[in-house]
Amino acid sequence: MKIRIDQQEIDVNPGETILEAARQNGINIPTLCYHEAFGGQGMCRMCMVEVKTAHSTNLVASCTYPINEVIEVHTSTPVIEKARRTIIALLYRTAPQSEFMKKLYQEYKCVENQLEINENERCILCRLCVRACEEIGSSAISAILRGTEKRISTPFDEASTVCIGCAACANICPTGAIELSQTPAGRTIWNRTFAVVTCQRCGQAFATREQLDYIAQHTGIKGSESKLCDDCRKKNLAAQIEQYAQ
Amino acid sequence: MQPAINDDKRMILVCCGTGCLANGSMEVYRALQEQLATTEVQVETYTKSTGCNGWCEKGPLVKIMPDDITYCRVTAKDIPEIAAKTLQNGELINRLLYRDPKTKQRVKSHHEIDFYKKQHKVALRNIGEIDPASIEDYIQRDGYKALGKVLEMTPLQVIDEIIKSGLRGRGGGGFPTGQKWKACAAVDASTRYIICNGDEGDPGAFMDRSIMEGDPHTVIEGMIICAHAIGASSGFIYVRDEYSLAVKNLGIAINDARTRGYLGPQILGSQLSFDIEIVRGGGAFVCGEETALMASIEGNVGEPRDKYIYPTEKGLWGQPTIINNVETWANVPVIMNGGAPAFAAIGTEGSKGTKVFSLVGKVINTGLVEVPMGTTLREIIYGIGGGIPGGRKFKAVQTGGPSGGCIPADMLDLQVDFDNLTKAGSMMGSGGLIVMDEHTCMVEIARYYVNFLAGESCGKCAPCREGLKAMLEILTGICKGEGSEADLDFLREIGETMQIASLCALGKTAPNPVLSTLNYFRDEYLSHINEHHCPAGVCRDLTRFYIDVEPCTGCGLCAKNCPMDAISGDRKEPHVIDQDKCIQCGECRNQCKFDAVKAR
Repeated sequence: MKIRIDQQEIDVNPGETILEAARQNGINIPTLCYHEAFGGQGMCRMCMVEVKTAHSTNLVASCTYPINEVIEVHTSTPVIEKARRTIIALLYRTAPQSEFMKKLYQEYKCVENQLEINENERCILCRLCVRACEEIGSSAISAILRGTEKRISTPFDEASTVCIGCAACANICPTGAIELSQTPAGRTIWNRTFAVVTCQRCGQAFATREQLDYIAQHTGIKGSESKLCDDCRKKNLAAQIEQYAQ
Repeated sequence: MQPAINDDKRMILVCCGTGCLANGSMEVYRALQEQLATTEVQVETYTKSTGCNGWCEKGPLVKIMPDDITYCRVTAKDIPEIAAKTLQNGELINRLLYRDPKTKQRVKSHHEIDFYKKQHKVALRNIGEIDPASIEDYIQRDGYKALGKVLEMTPLQVIDEIIKSGLRGRGGGGFPTGQKWKACAAVDASTRYIICNGDEGDPGAFMDRSIMEGDPHTVIEGMIICAHAIGASSGFIYVRDEYSLAVKNLGIAINDARTRGYLGPQILGSQLSFDIEIVRGGGAFVCGEETALMASIEGNVGEPRDKYIYPTEKGLWGQPTIINNVETWANVPVIMNGGAPAFAAIGTEGSKGTKVFSLVGKVINTGLVEVPMGTTLREIIYGIGGGIPGGRKFKAVQTGGPSGGCIPADMLDLQVDFDNLTKAGSMMGSGGLIVMDEHTCMVEIARYYVNFLAGESCGKCAPCREGLKAMLEILTGICKGEGSEADLDFLREIGETMQIASLCALGKTAPNPVLSTLNYFRDEYLSHINEHHCPAGVCRDLTRFYIDVEPCTGCGLCAKNCPMDAISGDRKEPHVIDQDKCIQCGECRNQCKFDAVKAR
C-alpha cells in the first residue's frame, strides 16, 4: 500500500504504524516515550501528526495509529509544532536537571514561564523503564497513583522482591531519573542493595548475583560463561573463533 | 403484582431515591408500614418504596394513588396524621402539599407543578412509579414487551430500527448508537461483549444512578435487545462502587430476570443465550472513559488507550464490544416498543429523543429532569428549575460535568442538544447542569474543576497530566491575586494543546472550564489580576466583606451565623465586621435578608 508522508510517497504494510513507516523511510518524528523494542505507548504525544483520510483530517499519535487505508500525513504543521513546544515546556519543569530535557527546551525555543520548577525531579513519566522491566520479565516497577501524583515506583515504595538489580530501567531512562549507585560493596537501586559479581578476567563489577541467576534460569547460560562481563565475553568469543580459524 | 386500584384501595408510594433517603425517607417508609400494620384503616392499602422522583429539593416525597396526592418533605411524625386524615377520610393535609411560590396556592398533585408538567419522561418513565425490586411492576408497565417483539425480528431489523430512531449515546460522546451496533455486528468474530457504563463520576450528577436504582430492568432489557442484534452472549454492568443501592437493585433484577427466563440460555425459547455480570468500579473517575473501563474490567490499571481501532472492533479482551451508557440502554426498550418514528419525533434535527439532566447548584428546584432535546437552557433553569433562589442574578450554567464549559446569561436561549453545546464551547457530557449565580467567581470555578480533574486524570499522557498541573498552579495564583495577563495567554496555549494532543476525551475536554470562562468572563480574570479584586466576593485573599449601614436593620442574623464571632452591633442598629477576625467565608452575606453585606 502506498501512502504519502510529507510529500514523500512510501510503501507500507497494512497495520504498520505511521511512526514505524516514517522512520523506516528516514522521516523523523520526535518522540519521548517510544522505543523500537516496545512499540508505541501513545503517552508523550510528541509524535502527533496530521492525517488526511478520504473523509476527514485529524491529529493522531503516530506511534499508535495503524495504517489501514490510503492516507496523507503531515508530520509538522504550525499547530503541531506549537503543541510539541507546549508539551516540552511543561515536561521541562518536571525534569530541569536533565541535560536531555534542557536541550529539547532550547531546541523548541520554549517561551519562558513563571511555573514552579521541580528542582529534584528528572522523571518525565515516559515509562520506558516500566516497559523495559516488563520485557525482562520482572515487572518490579510500575506507574503508581493517579493524575498529577503519578510517579514510577515499586509496590508501596518498598524494596522490591522481584527486582534483580539489572538496571535496565536506569539504562533506558532518557533523563537519568533513576537513582543507581554502585560501589564495590554493591549496587543500590529502588531501595535495595544487591551484591555485585566481578568479572573473572578484568575484575570489573558487571552484574548482580540475582541477575546472573535469572539469566541462567531463563537462558541456560551458566558456568564459566556467566562469570565474564560483556566486553570480556566478546573478547573470549573472538579468541575462540580465532583459534578455530587457525 | 400491582393490584387494580379503585375507590377502596390506596397505593402509597414513598420515594426512596438517594436524595430522599438522605432526608430520612426510609424512616418514613418504616413508620408507614408500622402504622398500617397496627392501626385499622377502612381502605385497603399497599405501600411501595420507589426510585428517585427527581424532585429531591422537596423530599422525602409520599404519593397516594389513585387520588394523585403528593406530599412533600414528609417526616415519620406526619404518618399518623396521613393515615388518619388522608387514608381514612380522603382529607388533604394542606401543610404537606407543595405551595406554588408564584400563585401562593397549595397544589394537590405533583402532576400540576411546572417542575413535572414541563418534563417529558422516556428514560425515567418508570422511576418513582414502580418498586425497583419488583419485576412484576416492570412487566406491568410494558416491561420486556420490547424483548418479545425483538426476538421475532432479525438482528439487522433491530439495528435498522435503532439507526432510524436517531438515538445517540447519552454518556457524553453522542455517537449514533445504531451505527455503533452495526459496526460491531459487521466484524467477523466468535465472541462479542456488551457493556453498560454505569461509572457516573461527575460531581453533582446522578441520572444514571437514579435509573440503575429506580428502574434496573430497563437497562437489562436494553442490553438483551442489543445481544440479539449483535450476537453477544455475555454482558457486564460496570457500576461505581459508591452506588451500593444501584448494585443491590441491579443484582435483584438480574436474578429475577434469570428466573423468568429473560437472561440465561435460550431466552424465552429463542436461540439467544445471554447473561449479565455486575462489575464494581474501583472509584476512578477516568474509568468512565470506555477504554479505561474495559482495562479495569480486564483487571488492569484503569488507563485509556488510543481509539484508532474502535472497541466495536477490538474492545474487551480484544473482542468486538458494544459499550453504552445507562441512559442509552434505558431508551432502547422504548424505541423498540413504540417504534423509531415515535422516538425520532422528539428532539431536534441532529439529536433525537430526550435527555436527563441533573439540575443542581443555585437553582430553586434542584433535582433530576428529563426534557426533549432542543429545550432551551432558560426553560430548564427558569421553567422547570424555578429560577435562582434569593432573587439573585443568574450568571452562568456549567453543562456536561467537570470538563464542561460555563455558558453565560446571554446564551440562555440556547437550545440544548449535542451539537449546540459543543459549538458554545461546552458539551452535553452525561448531562450535569450546574447553575451559578452572581455570588459565583468564575475564576474560582475554573480552578475548582481543574483541581478535581488534576486528581482524577489517570496521568498517563503528558498534555493532560502536566497541563492540568500547570493550569492549577496558574489559576491558584490568579485567585490569590498573583497572576499576570501573560498567564492568560499561557492558559490558553496549554488548554489548546490539551484539546488537540491529549490521549482520551478526559484530557481533550479538561480545559473546557478554563477556556470557556476565559472566553465569556475574561473581565473577571482581569479584575483578579489588575485590581486584585474578586467581583463575586469568593476568593478569600481578594475579598473584604463589610456591612452597608443603609439597608442593615440590625437583625443580628449575620452575627449569629458568623463562625469567627467577627460581627458585632446593638439590636436594631447597623452591625460591623471586625476585619481582623473575618476569614471571608461569606456566610454573613448568604444569611443577610436585606442585601446589606457587601464584598469589595
